[in-house]
Amino acid sequence: MTVTMPTTTTTPDRSRRLAVTREGGRMIAEYWDELFTARERGKQIVWYNGGALNPIFQAAGLAWCHGEAFAARLAAQQLEGPAQLAGAEYGYNAELCSYSRTHLGCAVLTLQGDEGGSTGVVGMHDQAELASRLPRPDFFVNNYAGCSTGQQWDEISYRVFDKEVPIFNISHPFLWGNKPDAGYLAGEEWESASRYVRDQLVDLIAWLEERSGNRFDWDLLRESMTYIKRAAELRREGLELCKAKPAPATFWDWISCVAPINFLPGDQRLVDYFQAVKDEIQDRIDRGISGVENERYRMYFDGIMNWNKLGFLSRKFAEHGVAVLAGRYIQNAFWQEPQLIDTDDPLLGMAQHYLLCPTNHGTKTLDYLTLRDCAEYDVDGIVFHSTRTCRAFTGPQRLLARSAQNNLGIPSIFFEGDVADASFYKEEILESRLTAMLEAIDVKRAQAS
Amino acid sequence: MESSDETNGAAALDTLRTAARDPRGYVGRWRAEHPGRKVLGVLPMNFPRELAHAAGVLPVIVADDQQPVTEGRAFLPEFYCGFTRNLADQAATGRFDLYDGLFVADHCIQLLGATDIVRELEPRAPVFLGQLISSLNDISAGAKIAEMVATLRTEVESFAGRTITDDALRASIRSFNRDRALMRRVFDARAAGDTCFSPVELQDVVASAQAMDPDEHHRLLSAVVAAREPRPRDDRIRVHLSGHLCHAPRRELLEVIEEAGAVVVDDDLWTGRRYLQAMVDESTPPLEAIGRWYAERNVAVPCPTRVQHDVDWDRWLLDAAERSGAEAVVHLMPKFCEPHMLYYPELRRALDTAGLPQLLVETEHEGIPLESFRTRLEALVERTHRNRPAYA
Repeated sequence: MTVTMPTTTTTPDRSRRLAVTREGGRMIAEYWDELFTARERGKQIVWYNGGALNPIFQAAGLAWCHGEAFAARLAAQQLEGPAQLAGAEYGYNAELCSYSRTHLGCAVLTLQGDEGGSTGVVGMHDQAELASRLPRPDFFVNNYAGCSTGQQWDEISYRVFDKEVPIFNISHPFLWGNKPDAGYLAGEEWESASRYVRDQLVDLIAWLEERSGNRFDWDLLRESMTYIKRAAELRREGLELCKAKPAPATFWDWISCVAPINFLPGDQRLVDYFQAVKDEIQDRIDRGISGVENERYRMYFDGIMNWNKLGFLSRKFAEHGVAVLAGRYIQNAFWQEPQLIDTDDPLLGMAQHYLLCPTNHGTKTLDYLTLRDCAEYDVDGIVFHSTRTCRAFTGPQRLLARSAQNNLGIPSIFFEGDVADASFYKEEILESRLTAMLEAIDVKRAQAS
Repeated sequence: MESSDETNGAAALDTLRTAARDPRGYVGRWRAEHPGRKVLGVLPMNFPRELAHAAGVLPVIVADDQQPVTEGRAFLPEFYCGFTRNLADQAATGRFDLYDGLFVADHCIQLLGATDIVRELEPRAPVFLGQLISSLNDISAGAKIAEMVATLRTEVESFAGRTITDDALRASIRSFNRDRALMRRVFDARAAGDTCFSPVELQDVVASAQAMDPDEHHRLLSAVVAAREPRPRDDRIRVHLSGHLCHAPRRELLEVIEEAGAVVVDDDLWTGRRYLQAMVDESTPPLEAIGRWYAERNVAVPCPTRVQHDVDWDRWLLDAAERSGAEAVVHLMPKFCEPHMLYYPELRRALDTAGLPQLLVETEHEGIPLESFRTRLEALVERTHRNRPAYA
């Protein structure tokens, strides 16, 4: 269970977060407010997990709630407690994925607060708590690649609602790499899995049309994917700019950009937002402004985000002169390969992005991606967030750490925390291990000079 | 003085027990008797061993060998389940040299994490994932299962260096079916009231079946069964054991359950009924039959790692308890087993509604707090006693 303690700091904030992400925050807040009132506006609502199906829901005329995103938002606002408590009382073990635990807790709250079911706004008695404001679903769609918990999570959501809410599941082959031709975006395994998932998206669209009674708007799908592709291109261009020394923006800025790219509607506003992100980064380069005051070290961050601690961690690393620049959760997720999208016929490229979930690869591919990014961003070390309830992200980390040391001579540390349960975060462990690694890097530099 | 049957039965059970607890010894003997043939490690729970057997390979389900995790600690986090950390340890310490290759058919993210450790640390051994679709209500489920079973056949042929004929596959299916049927007879007898086998003995019977050649196992088990006389139940509290989906619970835990005043009457454990409940249809073409076996396993004993809207573990549990007369359920949940954690509240809710007392015991690979469990089990037994009518 989460217990979020206020974090005090006595040192000045040396992080220089991008100003533009405040606009992203406003867009996200508006999105959720719209969702909370969607039923009142006659919208049907789908709860989904995993890959970004929102363009399909947008074209199907539905409002959408991404389970992980809602759990992450609660954690980022430190409001996850009521949902997790409801989940614990219902019987969910504290070691269960905290995304699923929070989201299932929301489902329990939704049911318990269903006196307001006619309005679709649940928990009428307790609307102060964001967790209980989630409108109940009309549909479930599972789109989970990689983590095996995802499928069961949605199946359990279906059962918590007494099997009364229709559910559609998309099955994703794990990109394991059985054959010699298997590789990142390559090989028969990749090609056949892409086609298989694409075919399921066609089935999903027919299923949504039949059950919602809404005609699927293919033109709207093409249009929204055009905006998303452009936003994704701008995002990649911005990430490229961050290879500069000193880095103009950091991993934490990009974390703040996850929600917009992951589930906001595909429209001009999304493109404008990522254009503004890129412009601000370019402006910083032009004016010699770095993302961290006096950058001394460059780091790669591996692990799913610790949403309770986003601001805290950005300040903490900056305090040590550490620019965290790249990470599996940013470089290798969230429409990260926009060239795969054919905006005239986007389903195949969408399917491929769902397969490219950073937990859906065997370690061989992850190793290739990690070493590539560590080299390109010229990092001094890797910080592994040993994400307590996320077995999908943490499974390959020890092998990745070993490989980075053996192949690039890069040291790494592990610190403990969690995606959406603050109680697993151990501040002193991060502090002591980070300090030790930075000292070791200093010694190495001194010896080399 | 023991009769000859009893002596043979005791000796046969001893052989099964030894194979269950020391698969390395069994594999060594098998290799000596079958020079040049390969031993394939397969991970639970759904790889069709018949395919490998038909190719002349010994398919051994890789078990948690109950050794403490030492060097494996460097490869998987502490919050991975004990089974997968043990697998990593087997690879890290060279204990995986028992196998010439490793096949896995299930998508469990922890299992795949451990499999990647094996792939990294044992490069000599081919490692193949043939992912059987786990969402059984999908429109394409039947076709995907058939496609994957065919792929597995090809891959096993490549591993064995030998073609699998339909005749050989039929023969293997018959062998495994015959062995499963005999085990099922024993389990059904227990559910009907026969207590002649203890839970530890039955675990050894099933665990040995998971390692041994099915014909040899059947011969030995036949001797064991022939030597046993049915023993009627006494008035101990009748308990159903539920959980431990893909590896064996510690034997001392099974013992303490019965020491607490209970008698185990049925289970859905992996080293129990879950392994043996589903049969392969011998009347249909063999590859198709294996596909159907996989698709229907979840009906035979529902599994929380599968997605199937119309099959309910909780409903199955209530029906099983009614068949066996179980008065209480003990959930044996390995720590960090997420499928089990997700389904547990549904089980709890159903059992509560039915008025069946239950106890959740969270197990660990090593260092389980046995005396604490004993106290809680004794409390369950007392609580269940109060459920009995005063004048039965």
